[in-house]
Amino acid sequence: CSDDYEDDEEDINNYYNNNEDDFADSEEEDGDSTSNNNDIKTSNNNDINQSGIIMTSKLEHFSSKTMTVSETNEFLWKDCDKASVVLSITPAMSRLVLQASKWKLAVIKTRLYKTNKPNFLESGLQNATNSKSIEKVKSSRPKVCGVCLETLHRSKLLALNCGHQFCDGCWKQHMVFAVKDGMSQGIPCMEPECTLLCHPDFVKQFYPVNQDSPLETAYKTHLFRISVSSHYQLRFCPGVDCTSVIYGEKPKPRKVQCLTCKTAFCFECGTPPHIPTNCETIKKWLTKCADDSETANYISANTKDCPKCHICIEKNGGCNHIKCSKCSHNFCWMCLGDWKNHGNSYYECSRYKENPRIASKNSQTQAREALKKYLFYFQRWENHDRSLHLEAQARSRIQTQIEEKVNSNQGTWIDWQYLLRAGELLAQCRYTLQYTYPLVYYAETGPEKALFEYQQAQLEVEIEGLAWKLEHAGEYQRGDIENQMDVAEKRRQTLLARFVTV
Amino acid sequence: MAATRRLTKEIADIGKGKGSAYRLINWDNILTWKVLLVPECVPYNKGAFHIEINFPAEYPFKPPKITFKTKIYHPNIDEKGQICLPIISPENWKPATKASQVLNALLVLITSPEPEHPLRGDLAEEFTKDRSKFNKTAEDYTKKHAEKRPTD
Repeated sequence: CSDDYEDDEEDINNYYNNNEDDFADSEEEDGDSTSNNNDIKTSNNNDINQSGIIMTSKLEHFSSKTMTVSETNEFLWKDCDKASVVLSITPAMSRLVLQASKWKLAVIKTRLYKTNKPNFLESGLQNATNSKSIEKVKSSRPKVCGVCLETLHRSKLLALNCGHQFCDGCWKQHMVFAVKDGMSQGIPCMEPECTLLCHPDFVKQFYPVNQDSPLETAYKTHLFRISVSSHYQLRFCPGVDCTSVIYGEKPKPRKVQCLTCKTAFCFECGTPPHIPTNCETIKKWLTKCADDSETANYISANTKDCPKCHICIEKNGGCNHIKCSKCSHNFCWMCLGDWKNHGNSYYECSRYKENPRIASKNSQTQAREALKKYLFYFQRWENHDRSLHLEAQARSRIQTQIEEKVNSNQGTWIDWQYLLRAGELLAQCRYTLQYTYPLVYYAETGPEKALFEYQQAQLEVEIEGLAWKLEHAGEYQRGDIENQMDVAEKRRQTLLARFVTV
Repeated sequence: MAATRRLTKEIADIGKGKGSAYRLINWDNILTWKVLLVPECVPYNKGAFHIEINFPAEYPFKPPKITFKTKIYHPNIDEKGQICLPIISPENWKPATKASQVLNALLVLITSPEPEHPLRGDLAEEFTKDRSKFNKTAEDYTKKHAEKRPTD
């Protein structure tokens, strides 16, 4: 028994290693490596769960790392240090420059070498004016703080690089209020029209000495938020109450998983993983579902087209005798037949089945057909979503069944693990299948679409086959089910390999 | 209080403002100014407009609010007297902005309406499509509803 277990584990390790090799290869092929991330230890997200199934393939995810807040801070300051060397300014000041350029140090460098001018302007570190005119601004201004209008000694007045001087009390008040209001993109200079932002070193001097101040805590929190959301390689985990930050070395619209709370999401757009559909399409689809589902349901439930003039009619009363208000045609709501033929047999509208009228193509029918098409895909989308939920329940039932079997001496725990693996693989395949529908809905008719639909159908067949066999696991051999798993996963991979392009 | 001290200084700087396009009429409560606007331009030069400026206790770190007390026919000022003035919106507010600058910005908005971001869409449309009709209505409206212009 224990021997078996070790073999199993070895197999898994081999599988895992092979897969990692594959992944490394594909990284080399990509070849668009970014310059500065060799120091961060990236963990391969090819997680194997206990049962040894590879949960993600190289098509669906990319190398990512889950970091805590303090790890992220450390990571950010490292970049600041590097930038400060390049730009010859303090690390805190270079943070503003980095934030303005998505933390792409390479871009900052290129710009510096090409134009010999760092982008201090866009980052709010410097005004367009040169240093001489700043001195002029400084000396020409009376020794009055422009905010409280008090006359003060020059030493009491502080200014950013723009030379707009204000007293320390006003600066501090301004910062406290700015931080309280959420400090959208930073704390601006107090002078009207001035676009400069306070850099962290400047803010620091207003912290009270030797104690934690609300200003310091709030400022650091906001600065952290601004930094992470402006960083091209970092994303906040969208999981509820999760504070983790996900680092992706080469950002792509692929699945990443937070190792803290297990939330999986698309690195690019933050929604649940949606391969093979791309970010733009899935956004369109989800918005459409949210906007249209009620309207669509209502239209299909409460309206029909007039059989004569094809105008869309909403039925708002109980009577099935409809007189079209546009063309005055009298017809039966149930069968859409001419009302004249109905006579007394109102409730036994027998013509319903034998008279499926196919209306000619005009705008109303087209609208209805568009709706039909949408509902066709939407129902499948919904249906698979429901199946996923049901099968999640089924998986927990499998767990109890396995325990029962082991307790009644029908094989060992290891022997029955394939059932759990099958359940997980089924969920994975079904999830992919669910996310193929938005893609097809928006795809243009052509050979590409036809091929995709063919492969989609192939996948669907195998998935339903697997679902059936798993539901009737008692009647099928282990080999049968494992074979089916293999086929389903291969179909899924084939589909992804062909249609995941980005 | 910081707000009071700064506002006292600002009032001293503005003074009574005789002959200028705005006059400070009442500041019994220093956080609530009553100001009379006396625009020089067509179609609002046939009357004067009462406005109220409310300064928050956090002034000058938070912006003041302005409401029109006199009815005015203007694309950027609604029936309730609310006005959309970028210089005093919370996102744009700078503590070093003075009340006099705010009033000047307001007068600029009255002189040249911004139909691109209106509070009253119908008026903005009329303003862009039929300027003479707009001017006529606004002038009649001013004569009917606005205050008398000060004589000095």
